[in-house]
Amino acid sequence: MSESVITKDKNPYLSVVVPFYNEEENAERLWNIIKDVLDGTGKTFEVIFVDDGSSDDTRNILRRLAKENKELRVILFRANFGQSAAMAAGFKATRGEIVVAMDGDLQNDPRDIPVLLKRLDDGFDVVSGWRKNRKDKLIMRKIPSKIANRIICSVTNVKLHDTGCSLKAFRGDMLRSISLYGELHRFIPALLRMEGANINEIPVRHHPRQYGQSKYNITRTFRVIMDLTTIRMLMKHLENPVRFFAGFAWLCFWSGFAVLLFGTYHLLFRQVDIIHLNIPITLIVLFWATAFQFLCYGLVGKLVVNTGSRKKFEYKEKVQ
Amino acid sequence: MSQSIKSSRISVIVAVFNQEAYLPELHGQLVQTFSEHIDDYELIYVDDGSKDNSWQVISELPAQDVIVKRVKLRTSFGESAVLDAGIKAAEGEQILYFTCRVRSNPKDLLKLLGRLDEGNDVVMGLREPRRDSKLNQFVSRLFNSMTNRMTHVGLNDINSGVMALHRGVLEHVPFYGSLNAFIPVLAHRQGYKVVEEPIEQLPGQFEQSLYPKNYIKRLLDFLSVIFISKYSKKPLHFLGFMGAIFTLIGAIINIYLFIYRILGVGPIAGRPMLLLGVLMVIIGIQLISIGLLGEMIIYTHANEIEDYNIEEIIE
Repeated sequence: MSESVITKDKNPYLSVVVPFYNEEENAERLWNIIKDVLDGTGKTFEVIFVDDGSSDDTRNILRRLAKENKELRVILFRANFGQSAAMAAGFKATRGEIVVAMDGDLQNDPRDIPVLLKRLDDGFDVVSGWRKNRKDKLIMRKIPSKIANRIICSVTNVKLHDTGCSLKAFRGDMLRSISLYGELHRFIPALLRMEGANINEIPVRHHPRQYGQSKYNITRTFRVIMDLTTIRMLMKHLENPVRFFAGFAWLCFWSGFAVLLFGTYHLLFRQVDIIHLNIPITLIVLFWATAFQFLCYGLVGKLVVNTGSRKKFEYKEKVQ
Repeated sequence: MSQSIKSSRISVIVAVFNQEAYLPELHGQLVQTFSEHIDDYELIYVDDGSKDNSWQVISELPAQDVIVKRVKLRTSFGESAVLDAGIKAAEGEQILYFTCRVRSNPKDLLKLLGRLDEGNDVVMGLREPRRDSKLNQFVSRLFNSMTNRMTHVGLNDINSGVMALHRGVLEHVPFYGSLNAFIPVLAHRQGYKVVEEPIEQLPGQFEQSLYPKNYIKRLLDFLSVIFISKYSKKPLHFLGFMGAIFTLIGAIINIYLFIYRILGVGPIAGRPMLLLGVLMVIIGIQLISIGLLGEMIIYTHANEIEDYNIEEIIE
């Protein structure tokens, strides 16, 4: 019995993770609001602030806050490694049964955290915020975001109105089973869906940015498309990469076959000399060699997946 | 690492390759200079499979009042392996590494350690004035400016072969193969403070210029560093981009030929351009496939990935 008390003491019910990058005006304000809100819930909690190599005063503010408050832990990166890395480091440090992630720019409202927790209790593993009333510039932020959301949803098959909203609540053990790297933080719901998560959403408040600069830029479109391709492939073909690559192999094989028929027809019925068919012959070689290569990629893929150290999350129903 | 690390000790790792004549003189200088200024240090000679009598000379180096460690590699493995072997033998928290061929003034090596104490993580030696061959210097300058342009590391002599660093840096920097030449670049990417300090080269015999194949090797190393530091976790960002370009060019060629044929301007079967178009598309799709395969590898082996470097955790 005493042991369970100790672990309960050690592991808080709730962990809140916030990545920061140059948010000197917002850091302390955000901490005060979070603390007020969470003190009000009466649950045990911890807050983890991750600084992603800020060049302004954010680091010193976070250092001071962490020393003053025992519920707050601060992770300082040596350089700027990106939002995925910051969230990955934060998630790894969490101990809570529930993990909430949010942005450090005060546009998300910590007062929505209890609402998310309540929805999570309805039996969901992930509850995403939905900025129904978004306070951002229409052309630069809202429209691209809407389009991106539609594309991401249809490709990953996770139906959310606002997958880009950072305010999300997760079942802790499940969240800690995935690895975030590169720029995969945009696809956390999809990654968790691969682990069998039950995903829902709930409208949250959204405030206009009051302090600091927005870090949004539109140049990342190509990388997002590439990541989407990756996610799609992982979701559909991770179990059997041979089939994925065999599709390409099949295509190349039949292309070669069509050229073969074309060449044979000309050779036999049009009396074309074989010397003049060098291009079709080369095409056949090219297509079939490629088909063979794709088959080999598939086999290598199978090997890779089978030797991978990654284990699928063992889904167990939450004990209510 | 099995041995305990002594925080006050400085480990001096000397890479030796065919330097039998210079070694006794160097050892004398090192012991004299370091004993005067440093309380606790060790000298680690790593022989990279020398063809001459270097190992014999190393074994006979006098070791009164100074810790001397001697490591012999079975054959020549290159400077990365030498550094790795040296680190494994080293007990100090601060590492000073240099290769014999540079012939730097030991007093300048002390300056490097001084800069390390100022709070820098890596201090590179900057050979000034350089005494190796003019061609070598030219290639080196070209290589440095290229690296600086790509990485913004801001160093003028990345491959000087002389550096002082904290042991912890190397735990986050992969330097297998011949990537040891890029330790400052990789460390800089990880957010470590990398600076340089001029060192004097003592007069003496220097190796002749590198062979052309070394330049090609260096270029490949350079490419792999760019790839490692930028795209290693996201192969598709790079390969997908290349693949998209190839596919696009191929598609344009093929569409052009298609329209050409449909409009009946002439036959296309005799035109090698068709082959080029198809080849481009196929290469493009293959690049994308290999990128996807790479992503598959990363994802299924991603448990150990730490895409970041934590400076401090405050509870």
